[in-house]
Amino acid sequence: MANKRILIVHDDPDMVAALHLPLKSAGYDVLDASSSQEGLQKIQEFSPALVILDAILETASNLQISLALRNPAPQSPYASYRRIPILVLTPSHTTASLRLGSDEAYLPVDDFVDMPINPDMLLNKVNALIGVGD
Amino acid sequence: MELSRVLTYLAESAAIALRADAAAVCLLDESGTRLSVAAVHGLPAELLDRGSQEIQSCALDREALTSHAAVVADAQYDLLELPGQDFRAGLCTPLIHEGQPVGTLHVYATVPEHFCKDDAAKLRPLVDLGAAAIAATRAMTELKALEASRAQFIRVMTHELRSPVTVAQSLVRSVLYAGGLSDRQMEVFTRIGRRLDGLENLINDLLDLAAGKAPVPAEEGPVVLNASLGRVVLLLQPRAEDKNLEMAFQSCRDQLVVRGTEEGLDRIFVNIVGNAVKYTPPGGTVTVLMQQEDGQAQVEVADTGIGIPEEALPHLFEEFYRAPNAKKAEVGTGLGLAIVKDLVERYGGRIQVKSIVGVGTTFTVTLSLLSTNAA
Repeated sequence: MANKRILIVHDDPDMVAALHLPLKSAGYDVLDASSSQEGLQKIQEFSPALVILDAILETASNLQISLALRNPAPQSPYASYRRIPILVLTPSHTTASLRLGSDEAYLPVDDFVDMPINPDMLLNKVNALIGVGD
Repeated sequence: MELSRVLTYLAESAAIALRADAAAVCLLDESGTRLSVAAVHGLPAELLDRGSQEIQSCALDREALTSHAAVVADAQYDLLELPGQDFRAGLCTPLIHEGQPVGTLHVYATVPEHFCKDDAAKLRPLVDLGAAAIAATRAMTELKALEASRAQFIRVMTHELRSPVTVAQSLVRSVLYAGGLSDRQMEVFTRIGRRLDGLENLINDLLDLAAGKAPVPAEEGPVVLNASLGRVVLLLQPRAEDKNLEMAFQSCRDQLVVRGTEEGLDRIFVNIVGNAVKYTPPGGTVTVLMQQEDGQAQVEVADTGIGIPEEALPHLFEEFYRAPNAKKAEVGTGLGLAIVKDLVERYGGRIQVKSIVGVGTTFTVTLSLLSTNAA
């Protein structure tokens, strides 16, 4: 059976709860971590199929996770997790996520979800990144 | 102008006016009880580092502040409190702005009896100007500090106020999505969600307004209009689809480059196109048209929405104004278009609106073209 584990790294337990509901109802196993350190630990422990991070603009610690996972050095301790897709939650109402995703402001993440979340849109992106339905 | 330069100029001018050998400006601290030397002319610069002194211990200054001027006709230097200097005569006059003492001005001469009480009156215009300049530069410094704390306030607001609201919205949406609620519960959660959406709009608008009205504009530069409109349409497309609206975007073949910031332009068009989506009933259309006209870039956003009553048009861009039919139809704050107008004008452009109730509205934003890059 395909890996359906999703790791949420977020320091707000309420936001984690908000993400849990739609993800679980779509049949995903959801893990969470409240710090980037704990996040990196859980990535090694559970090798999730996807990582969801808090808005990258506000918490530099989450940049740390994306950079660690995307570190191209062969001796990187996260070398085997390099292909795990990363989804980032961004503050809504601005086009920040679209600008961040553009080529000139390249960040080592795969996609963005605006806050507040729209569960349908969240699941569409999650499914697409994990490759459900391929 | 920096305060220190203003004060040095004041000291120098006073010395010249009274043919004195030296001059110094002392400033009172905020409590009005301590004095410190802030500028000197013809005196060692070390005096500036002497720190502040209780006004009670400065006999000359104290007398000047209570009786408009203090004159020392012939004294040993110790009375002038300038060790190592050869001065015999001194004059001290208060610097007063709008009835409040801000400091004192001292002039010194090596010749005894150099000053008389009338000299204080001669210095009057200079002293008044100096005091006003001190007050103005201080106000300027305070303004700058205020501006910095305002920026800080916005950052804190953004995080502390918006985050909990968006988290609450996310929770409500998740509960509604997961289902399993009774009809009554469903209705209540929907109401909560709507209230939170309204609150989020208000916070976003207030933040936009606070950021948009900043006296120091963010660095403006050439921005590609096509890209901005592309982003905005991409952002709002899902909302239009949710409402079963047709959204059409006609971009230009050439890249139109205008003055502004990416964020500012995006904000302008997120607001205008967002309004079009918001106030157009299901089944309608929203058209975004971009064109080059007489050396200007023009963006037309047309909808088949509820329209704006004629009597509302003159007030449309006022802060917190909302047309009566808009109030009935949707949650909103009445800040969006005030922000839009502010930004458009900041970038040297203009905005126009045409509308017929029940038929639709067209907003036209015209921005001067910096250049075009042929596709």
